[in-house]
Amino acid sequence: MYDLEFHSVSKRYRVSGQSGPSSGFSGRLGWFGRRSGEFWAIRDVSFTVRPGEALGIIGHNGAGKSTVLKLVSNITSPTKGEIRICGRIAALLEVGSGFHPELTGRENVYLSGSILGMRRTEINNKLDSILEFAGVYNFADVPVKRYSSGMYVRLGFAIAAHLDADILLLDEVLAVGDAKFQGRCQERILELKANGTTIVFISHDLASVRRLCDRSLLLNHGCLIFEGTPAEVISQYALLGRERNRVEETELLNPQKPARVSAFTFLNESGSPTTELRTGFPVRAIVEYEVTGPIHNAAISVLFYASGDWTVASHFTTIDLPLHLPIGTGAIEFSTDELALPPGAYAAGCSIEDDWQQIDFVSKTYFAVMPGRPVRGRFHSPHTWRELRYTETVSHKQLHAEGDEEP
Amino acid sequence: MSASDERRRTKIIRPATFSPLAIVRGVRDLIHYRDLLLTLTMHRINVRYKQSALGIAWAVLQPLLLMIVYTIIFSVVVKMPHEGAPYAVFVYAALLPWTFFSTAVATSATSLVAHNSLITKVYFPREILPLTYVLAAFFDFLIASVILLALLCFYHVSLAASALLVCPIMLVAFLFSLAIALLLSAFQVRFRDIGIAMSLLLQLWMYATPVVYPYSIVPERFVFWYSLNPMAGVVENFRRVILRHEPMNMGVLLPGLIVCLLLLPLAYLYFKTAEATMADVI
Repeated sequence: MYDLEFHSVSKRYRVSGQSGPSSGFSGRLGWFGRRSGEFWAIRDVSFTVRPGEALGIIGHNGAGKSTVLKLVSNITSPTKGEIRICGRIAALLEVGSGFHPELTGRENVYLSGSILGMRRTEINNKLDSILEFAGVYNFADVPVKRYSSGMYVRLGFAIAAHLDADILLLDEVLAVGDAKFQGRCQERILELKANGTTIVFISHDLASVRRLCDRSLLLNHGCLIFEGTPAEVISQYALLGRERNRVEETELLNPQKPARVSAFTFLNESGSPTTELRTGFPVRAIVEYEVTGPIHNAAISVLFYASGDWTVASHFTTIDLPLHLPIGTGAIEFSTDELALPPGAYAAGCSIEDDWQQIDFVSKTYFAVMPGRPVRGRFHSPHTWRELRYTETVSHKQLHAEGDEEP
Repeated sequence: MSASDERRRTKIIRPATFSPLAIVRGVRDLIHYRDLLLTLTMHRINVRYKQSALGIAWAVLQPLLLMIVYTIIFSVVVKMPHEGAPYAVFVYAALLPWTFFSTAVATSATSLVAHNSLITKVYFPREILPLTYVLAAFFDFLIASVILLALLCFYHVSLAASALLVCPIMLVAFLFSLAIALLLSAFQVRFRDIGIAMSLLLQLWMYATPVVYPYSIVPERFVFWYSLNPMAGVVENFRRVILRHEPMNMGVLLPGLIVCLLLLPLAYLYFKTAEATMADVI
């Protein structure tokens, strides 16, 4: 018996001309380069999840991960196929989404809890521990519109984490709140897992998938293309990234642009193109560009994005290297001796600017950072260790003890 | 009580089909989510009155002000027949069920669109949203009923045992409001025009219902068509049992009741079919 079964599930989205798509939605359509009235977010996807198992689903943006999550949580229905769910599901698609700003923290716990399917008596029993876990005990009777964003998010997670669900759906929620709270979230999730809760985890964050999941699926353009251990799937994912390692332009080529980024490539230590980098190892990236009208005060920047599209770092040339670009083509190298990014999936982009005006911007070249030099925390900082002094102290007791053992 | 104590429910999600079985499944699901229905309804009532200065008085104010206006127009300016009872009581007794209906329909029509962030992020039976607005409107109706009692005392109109018949009459009004609420709210997700057309529609509808005039002046040959509007039967009978102490007039209620009983399951089915892709188009 499985907790969750997908039998040849497909989901088609229809896009009507005016009212239908939101900007994010049409953006996603753009990914497929199709502007027709419909597209298949997932096609013929089948998989099962055993009770107590933690399944990770990874894939690029628009691969269909979120659609799978929405189908499992029954927010939307499949176009074809069948989904069987055994047990109670708690979906954490966006923490605190069910909150009403006018209501107090306590009232929102009732509201949000019952939206997630909790009974009132059950909420009564857990109210204190939820407020305690979220650290808002003293603000229980304050309207949540007066809460800080941190409190808001913590309360949202606390409710879901106390839901006693059989199946927990997680979507990048590990990336909320401050570091301390994140730690507690992860602890709580591991605790739930140890208690036998089935987990479906959808993420770009390969490190979390590897840590949390027993098995993993790889989605690409709505199809399930690989299934295996997280380590196997992550390496497949990186292979996929290599195929996709072409510059994806966000806008159509504008002939009036005085300059254009023509290529952006990462090189490995031996100088061949790669999409697999290692934490703490040297990295080189080459930006190639064409200049059709001279630029006098040019700056070239390289940006790194983590999952959720937030910029982790952006480096630009102005200060280090003032650029005067005559008409022609050129290339510039970006390099660092020790990559600071921890293992995970990232995207990089680069842009050319003239007097702080952006001329051309390309995003996103996907790449994976694999474990290299050991790092715990948010980034690897280039460092060296040097031993300053060491004096050996040997106690007499120890000497005697060791002496006694000898026959 | 933990999840393991409860028997694990197996849920099967398939593409939406327009089958009567969906009603059974839907109602079962709704019962499972009864606590949410309760919490959301209380929340609805709470929020409505929490941030307004007059608070609960708003429930009373709307029918009361309309009563004053209509009394001035139809009893001082124009002489409208009003079947014995003073016009103020005559019109208020009709405004009471009518306001319930119009509030329920107007507020619930936008219920899904107003909660789009919820709909795209969590699952719960979506009909709970329009249903809570209908329930909140019913709460308003109960509050506003107190004024009717006060008016009856003021004008020395006594109540008879027939007044108890308001319960089945209001049940019809409730079921019909629910059917319209389900239809319009699901419609609104696809066609936003409903919101704009709403006030006009309700205004016209009020004149197709014996609110400001008595049912008795409706010409005989129109009676059948007229009584297809369930609200006509509701309002006329509400007045009969409260003011005139007469038994219900089934002739005017029955066609509407049949319409209502046919419409509700169809509306629910339409709603459940629309629900399947609601999160995609909202």
